[in-house]
Amino acid sequence: MSYMSTLRAFAVSGALMMPGAAWAQQVEINFYYPVAIGGPVTQIVEDLISRFEAENPDVKVNPIYSGTYSETISKALAAFRAGQPPELAVMLSVDMYTLVDEGAVAPIERFVETDEDRAWLEGFMPVFMSNSQTADQTWGVPFQRGTTVFFWNKNMFEEAGLDPDVGPQNWEEVVEFAGKLTKRDASGNATTWGMQVPSSLTSYWLLQGYVAQNEGKLFELSGDQTYFDSPEVVEALEYWVSLAHEHKVMKPGVIEWATNPKDFFEGKAAMITTTSGNLTNVKNNAPFPFGVQILPEHKKRGAPTSGGNIFIFEGVDAEKQEAAFRFTKWLTSAEQSAEWSIKTGYIAPREDAWETAAMKTYVEEFPEALVPREQIPFMVPELSTYENQRVARVIDDAIEASLTATKTPAQALADAQAEAERILRNYRN
Amino acid sequence: MSTIALPHQERGASFWRLVELVGCYVLGLLWIMPLLYAVWMAIHPPEYEVRFDLFAPLTLDNFIAAWSAAPFARYFFNTFVLISVILVAQFVICTLAAYAFARYEFKGKTVIFMLILLQLMVMPEVLLVENYRTMVRLGLVDTVLAMGLPYMASAFGIFLLRQAFLTVPKELDDAARVEGAGSVGVLLRVYVPLARPVYVAYGLVSVSYHWNNLLWPLVITNSVSTRPLTVGLQVFASPDQGVQWSIISAAALMTSAPLLIAFLLFQRQFVQSFMRAGIK
Repeated sequence: MSYMSTLRAFAVSGALMMPGAAWAQQVEINFYYPVAIGGPVTQIVEDLISRFEAENPDVKVNPIYSGTYSETISKALAAFRAGQPPELAVMLSVDMYTLVDEGAVAPIERFVETDEDRAWLEGFMPVFMSNSQTADQTWGVPFQRGTTVFFWNKNMFEEAGLDPDVGPQNWEEVVEFAGKLTKRDASGNATTWGMQVPSSLTSYWLLQGYVAQNEGKLFELSGDQTYFDSPEVVEALEYWVSLAHEHKVMKPGVIEWATNPKDFFEGKAAMITTTSGNLTNVKNNAPFPFGVQILPEHKKRGAPTSGGNIFIFEGVDAEKQEAAFRFTKWLTSAEQSAEWSIKTGYIAPREDAWETAAMKTYVEEFPEALVPREQIPFMVPELSTYENQRVARVIDDAIEASLTATKTPAQALADAQAEAERILRNYRN
Repeated sequence: MSTIALPHQERGASFWRLVELVGCYVLGLLWIMPLLYAVWMAIHPPEYEVRFDLFAPLTLDNFIAAWSAAPFARYFFNTFVLISVILVAQFVICTLAAYAFARYEFKGKTVIFMLILLQLMVMPEVLLVENYRTMVRLGLVDTVLAMGLPYMASAFGIFLLRQAFLTVPKELDDAARVEGAGSVGVLLRVYVPLARPVYVAYGLVSVSYHWNNLLWPLVITNSVSTRPLTVGLQVFASPDQGVQWSIISAAALMTSAPLLIAFLLFQRQFVQSFMRAGIK
């Protein structure tokens, strides 16, 4: 190590240098990533990184597993405030406003220089970009994105006298089919529910699907306005609640995300909605032929996006940000995007990824993988506002109160809107 | 059993004894149920998670899958180092502080003790950012010491030991001094031995807390060579996809096994210590 480079190392990083981190010609960057799905994600990430490093010997990427999404943002923001942020991290796309508000992330446009860079950035599907852009700039790069899809048990359809190859196409059919599919024992207790929609944790996400199908919207893209008490939203929630309380075809109360697919495998639920990330899980574990389709329509089709973006942090030197950008671009370009999608079940957010040879072979073998993509034209961006975690909590609580019948949907949503208003008021000029 | 053999005139008493016994077994069974269920799920294939079948095929695949999902051997070692470092530091710091608060008069004693008690009211999570900043300044990010440092001066430990030391008769202290023991000698020969049950009880609470602690270790560490078991366990929490209960159960049993075994081996001592120390 020369005298100059030692000096430079001190000048650039000073006290921020991690103990033991070697300073060579290489640029070293830290990459926080959460694991939100089953399977050997850690190995897939490490494998991708080692190939990137082989192509870019001047960059060393340290993959750092950072728990769930919420732990990842806690860790990244704590590190940022302490002056030692990671160079890049995968966090929920909906946390964009929070991150921008903190001044924690850098706009991607700053690094886009060549025509090739521009083509790469423009290659993302617009619906995934709407959760990634604000104030005319891009803050997050779509990486592990998903949506909700609809699964049904074909054997049970046959038993109930339904065509096993056609799922319900609209809200009324869901009720009708679910009525036929719900089975009860002699004492009237359900042994199989016709329909199950998960409602623990981020239940606003499921509500958003119903709202989009009802031609309503939950929030404004500027991130400072919600419409929880609008008639479209109230109707949507009333429909959801009616499945359990009025039509009695869905398990009453809160349905856990984690056990919903299990109930489906065990034959306790004949139809479920869940994330597209479950495709591989269902394919491997359902002991019966299953059908999968996009969500049933009401006034129109509709479903929310979901998942994580890659963010590049401020507070690190430009050279490292540049390396982080190169890695981001590599990881989200057509080939890697297709590979990541095939191995994990996330939707490849770029048109050109679907054109790759690997992807084409994959959808030939497993045509169900095309279903989430079919939904893309109908997708709306996931709820994302300033103080997103608090606002999401407010609407989640309203949904839970409605499903457990402690409040009427209209009352619960009016309360939620008032609370969201109180939180977001400060963010309007 | 023995209750049946009791003399005739004590029937009333034996009836209540029986109720008590049955109550104990029911409560015990309720308590152990989740553990038994975890064992059931861990040793059977996933299809039997919610189906009870006595002759379901046994398997160790879940343990193998869990073990290979993360570098658990290293994580075990790290957790072991972490809890040892914390426990030793807590014992030394808390003993000295408690001794001072129990037996010495100094200016501002009450105020300082109140300040320490105040620490009990503050959730460690609130201090996440500030603690992180401190570790950056100390250059300790991603070290075992960083994971343990915020917990070493434990307010709970100081409080507990102070109360224990206060119950030690002054006469014993005086007698030891007459025999020629200095301050440290008195502490080590009189106070510490008498407070032994408190040490055992506090040690158990501390070890089980740090064995299970996740957020702070996850935030302050980055590499496999420092991270504890809980971080490895977290890999199995896959909220987007539903949970694989059998593998999670296997992993949870595997990681809590050392604690469970230690507890079973030293059960009698632990229970006695808790009774004497008066903490639950």
